[in-house]
Amino acid sequence: MSLLSVRGIVKRYGGLTAVDGASFDIDAGELVGLIGPNGSGKTTLLNILSGLAEPDGGEILLDGAPCHGLKPEQLAHRGVMRMFQLTRVFRRMNVIDNLLVAGRALGLDGAEALNRADTLIEELRLDAVRALDAGQLSGGQMKLLEFGVCFMVPPRIALLDEPFAAVHPTMKEIMGGFIRSRHEQGQTFILVSHDMPVIVELCPRAVCMNAGKVIIDAPTRTVLSNADVIEAYLGGQAA
Amino acid sequence: MSASETPLHSGGADKRSVASTSTGKSAVEFRAAIAFLIVIALIPAVVRNDYWLGVLIVSMYFAILTGAWNLLAGYTGQFSLAPATFAMIGAYATGLLCTAFGVPPLLGIVAAILIAGLTGLILGRIVLRLTGPYLALTTLSFAEIMRLVASNSIDITRGDLGLAVPGLLSSRIGWYYIFVGVLAFLLVALYALLRSKAGLFLQAIRDDEVAAARSGVDVVFWKTAAFALSAAASGFAGALYAHFAELVTPELGLIGQTGLIVSMAVIGGMGTLAGPLIAAFLVYVLSEWLRDVGGYQLVVFSALVVIFARFFREGLWGLARGAMQRWRRS
Repeated sequence: MSLLSVRGIVKRYGGLTAVDGASFDIDAGELVGLIGPNGSGKTTLLNILSGLAEPDGGEILLDGAPCHGLKPEQLAHRGVMRMFQLTRVFRRMNVIDNLLVAGRALGLDGAEALNRADTLIEELRLDAVRALDAGQLSGGQMKLLEFGVCFMVPPRIALLDEPFAAVHPTMKEIMGGFIRSRHEQGQTFILVSHDMPVIVELCPRAVCMNAGKVIIDAPTRTVLSNADVIEAYLGGQAA
Repeated sequence: MSASETPLHSGGADKRSVASTSTGKSAVEFRAAIAFLIVIALIPAVVRNDYWLGVLIVSMYFAILTGAWNLLAGYTGQFSLAPATFAMIGAYATGLLCTAFGVPPLLGIVAAILIAGLTGLILGRIVLRLTGPYLALTTLSFAEIMRLVASNSIDITRGDLGLAVPGLLSSRIGWYYIFVGVLAFLLVALYALLRSKAGLFLQAIRDDEVAAARSGVDVVFWKTAAFALSAAASGFAGALYAHFAELVTPELGLIGQTGLIVSMAVIGGMGTLAGPLIAAFLVYVLSEWLRDVGGYQLVVFSALVVIFARFFREGLWGLARGAMQRWRRS
């Protein structure tokens, strides 16, 4: 049984069909790249998977049980953690407290949550800013912090929406290394990114969306050499 | 190693982390607030004048209301314009129970806390999805409706004539220390709340509800709880005031009263523990000094709120903290 099954998901906004019957399965321990041009429905699909939007059709199964329609906090407790494209941190709370919120909400006691926060701060090299309010961090540091929040309690599946966008190469390397090592330990990911070299390097498998539909679901190199994918990205110039 | 076996430090919580959490920051604020309260408790040793003791008692009434509103607006980000209304509800609850049903005042006060808290819980559920100006306007409408109901239900409340309420004790000093005790109790309770995971969750909701929900925080539950707790504390203050003044009128719920509470929190520093407490005394005592200039005192307070909101967002407490940091560096 797949860890996550997306079956025929449809989402409409007025006359626009943002997601049009998207289907794919993800097994435990997979690291799957979700790619597609702007407006292809990737973020809308992640919104549905993380409980921020309700689908108009289709179903989502987590460990075989329906989970569409659950609230974000309910999904977080079931192990679905989301990192947003536009960074969302608690700006008036410091770095440690940002991490503690997720730790305490997801069931860790105070000392355990502090230990985990320390470990993550070290791994993500946020030591120098640990006592600063999140609003005082650079854009890249905020991304790292939000990334850390997703791993305060190792999730069943991490949904990462453009974690590398507008991030300094050093921080990109820190996040990439973290994803790689956690994947080797069995962590499951969906990684949305426009950074194709990173997708190729990290993701053995990719799902490509265009105009709300899944156009191919295959090993990453196969996806990137697929004529429909090239057409979707380049608008037919490469064909 | 499986994904769940994240390497942990072998010992207890890292001291650096403990010192860096909000717990460390609020501990300093708590100590300052307690020190200020000790000074307030010592004032009757030098001030025996009943009028000024009365002014300080009413200052403590406003300090409780400001603390309760600060929990909701400063720490949870829910800008309600009904704090004075919950005090009025608490005052009428105990007043009516005592006069119409012969309930003993102490039981009336307990009932007032519960009734105000329950009303806050219901209002909290109703305004759950509202934010910013929509939340402010809805709570303002609620406040005006409740005040008008109290004012026009003459058969029950005696309207603007006011409802005579039995007193608890005749000693002004006695009342003074009742208010000191209640203020100290609520301060300790607020501090304990902020140190707990509930405090983390409320502040997370204030900063970003979506991010809080993503992190696993039950936003609906904690927002509603903040409304109920804030309303219950306001109801407590209102009930005490009713037995102190031995009279309840709809004026307790006037928007001007809420304006005073908001100005105290803004001037003291919203989302800080000690600032609103100190500002409640400063503003109310100042309002008594400025009583002779009539309506102009409102001009002074409005100007202060504008200046603090524009230039000193962290209020008096932020200014004091900044001065301390500069002094330590020099």
